[in-house]
Amino acid sequence: MIRYALTRAALLLVGLFVASVLIFLSLRVLPGDIAQLIAGSEGTPAQVAAIRESLGLNEPAITQYFGWIGGVLSGDLGSSLLTGSSVAAELAQKAQVTVPLGILALTIALVISVPLGVLSALRRGRPGGTALSVASQALAAVPVVWAGMMLVVVFAVWLGWLPAQGFPRDGWADPGAALRALILPALTIGVVEGAMLLRFVRSATLQAIGQDYVRTAAAKGLTRTTALLRHGLPNVGLSVITVLGLQVAGIVVGAVVIEQLFTLPGIGRMLVTDVGNRDLPKVQGELLVLTGFVLLVGFVVDLLHRVIDPRQRES
Amino acid sequence: MRRRITLAAAALVTTSALLLTACTGSPSGETTTSAGPADSSATLRVGLVLEPSNLDIRHTSGAALEQVLIGNVYEGLVSRSQDNEVENALATDHTVSDDGLTYTFTLAQGVAFHSGDPLTVDDVVSSFTQVKDDETIIGHADFANVAGIAADGADKVVVTLTTPDQNFLFNLTGPAGLVVKAGDTTDLKTAENGTGPFTLTRWNQGDSLELARNDAYWGEPAGVASVVLQYIPDFTAGVNAALDGSLDVLTAVDPTLAPQLDGAQGFSLTTGKTTDKATLAFNNKKAPLDDKRVREALRLAINHDDLVTAVGAGQTLYGPIPELDPGYEDLSGTISYDPERAKELLAEAGAENLELTLTIPSFYGTTVPQVLVSDFEAVGVDLTVDAVEFSTWLQDVYTNRDYDLSFVLHVEPRDFGNFANPDYYFGYDNPDVQKLYQEALATVDPDESADLLAQAAKIVSEDSAADWLYNGATITAVQSTVSGFPVDSINSRIDLAGVTVSK
Repeated sequence: MIRYALTRAALLLVGLFVASVLIFLSLRVLPGDIAQLIAGSEGTPAQVAAIRESLGLNEPAITQYFGWIGGVLSGDLGSSLLTGSSVAAELAQKAQVTVPLGILALTIALVISVPLGVLSALRRGRPGGTALSVASQALAAVPVVWAGMMLVVVFAVWLGWLPAQGFPRDGWADPGAALRALILPALTIGVVEGAMLLRFVRSATLQAIGQDYVRTAAAKGLTRTTALLRHGLPNVGLSVITVLGLQVAGIVVGAVVIEQLFTLPGIGRMLVTDVGNRDLPKVQGELLVLTGFVLLVGFVVDLLHRVIDPRQRES
Repeated sequence: MRRRITLAAAALVTTSALLLTACTGSPSGETTTSAGPADSSATLRVGLVLEPSNLDIRHTSGAALEQVLIGNVYEGLVSRSQDNEVENALATDHTVSDDGLTYTFTLAQGVAFHSGDPLTVDDVVSSFTQVKDDETIIGHADFANVAGIAADGADKVVVTLTTPDQNFLFNLTGPAGLVVKAGDTTDLKTAENGTGPFTLTRWNQGDSLELARNDAYWGEPAGVASVVLQYIPDFTAGVNAALDGSLDVLTAVDPTLAPQLDGAQGFSLTTGKTTDKATLAFNNKKAPLDDKRVREALRLAINHDDLVTAVGAGQTLYGPIPELDPGYEDLSGTISYDPERAKELLAEAGAENLELTLTIPSFYGTTVPQVLVSDFEAVGVDLTVDAVEFSTWLQDVYTNRDYDLSFVLHVEPRDFGNFANPDYYFGYDNPDVQKLYQEALATVDPDESADLLAQAAKIVSEDSAADWLYNGATITAVQSTVSGFPVDSINSRIDLAGVTVSK
């Protein structure tokens, strides 16, 4: 087990290194640069050159890469060329919005998908199950932006129950207000992701129903539902954990869109702004941390599998 | 490259404002709605579209910075009014010698920086000297003609020029003219040390800027205790924020969304004039656009009245100078909508079945490109629209001149000089225009100068150096409790000191 964990950890590090190279190179392909943006449309070529020089943009790419990665290895994620602010500090600040948003969205997705997914599988072929299945398919196909706008129109503009956009300027100083600001965005991501997850839980449950051990349990006198709940669900849970790992990445992507729509000062919105500004050192740091996070989730999912599923331990 | 177009920021701000047909505007000046006595302890909450990327107004260009910082946090010797007239600010008086070469400013007394240090003539001399000497300071080019900057006694500053410059005083109303403390160590990227009626209390990057009344202000103190400038890039989100009660004022209202706010929940709309010139740039140096007949044909093919209707706000503009700038004259006679004539001209120029590309910064939306595509199609020109990020636009179009047609809102006032600069991205090179422009700058009498500018502008329009699709207007939604919110030119300056909120 320990050997397995170490191998996976090494793979994680290799993955991060490859990601860092890809991030660095892909950003260099973007046209336009920050020096030109700072100088604006008034800037003369000489002015732009002077700004480029002062920002160190004229250094060879390889020097820039090692400068960056060297900093990262010594714990420095770099700083913004525009504002001079530290990437780590900015990430920590914006994570106060994005992390709770992600957790809330994930919770909503789970609360919707697990019971309804199982129910939909148990009721397969009956009107209730079909309705659930159709509804989830429709919801999963809804663009996140549209779903968000509809929720805003109903709950913020018509009913006036929740704020339409923004986050308290004092952050979590008033937890109630902060939570209220996150409800609609989290619902938007949660419902759409939940609908997708529901379909997955449904098919995993259906598969479990057909398994020998469920049939055996049923033959021993349990009702089909009890047999499934007692013996089938742990297996469903395993597959759900895997999918959840992927969902996390989906939620990060969803946050980029949703934060823009709801004007939430989170990581997604910061990333969009920084790319637009061509603040490459900052974007590099942000992307590396996000990639690291997603890789880490994959790592944890793999380990969990190993711990939960005895079959994997033996093999 | 004397003049300046601060495209991105205000451009975006105004584009938004370009799409409205019917909106009830109060006359220019200020909003007059008021309910009850002003509450001097109130907080004013203003929604804006574009956030500054950092706060260093001396080293970063951008209308979003100027819009909120100049006049509110930082001040220059002179400032500009909503209709672009030069007014005294930190100077109580300014005189220009008869030869137009010597500017003498008398400094107001009792002015202090937010740090508490008193403002002295040395601070002015040091600020101006930096602009003159340091290429990376925004506005450096505005000081190209400056020969000397010196203090005269304890309250006068004298600036001498090598040649008269009709625009010099106006340039001092921009970033080049701001006065900062000599030897100050404040990190201007994130903090400030201005002399204005507001101090900056907090910048929550990606969200909001907060200002507080400077109680030690040397002039009339601000009418509200604090201001929250909330940045909401999405137009719909902005309207929703106004409707759910989070905002007192929403600037740059998207014209298509404006009807939702008109009269709703205590909001009323104002429509303000701007110097935004929605410019369809032709690459004058590149075939076939180097042929005047082709450029004229493209202008004839555009139905400007329909375009303004589609855009929803603003008015037609047929030359490079808008109404708020010196040298404006109605040039509607120079061109009219005539697709048949356009086809003839294209045939004459041997440019039938023309294929052109329009490079446009993506935040401008699709209304204008759609109208152009259909208008051009009617005369046999196939237009491909290439929407790019602003930084890409700056590189491809502005720096490398790699384009056929481009669309950008040139928001900066008095930027006619771009047509007298053959190195500008328009690539328009006409010695007569350059000569007239130089004369206009060097002429000491403002009326005579304006007259020369008008002559030059007429030639530019007759040459079809570009097309001016419309002159933008900016729509603002203001709560009935708010008084004194500026109406005109607010995409370049929002004077917040005179705004009050009633209980």
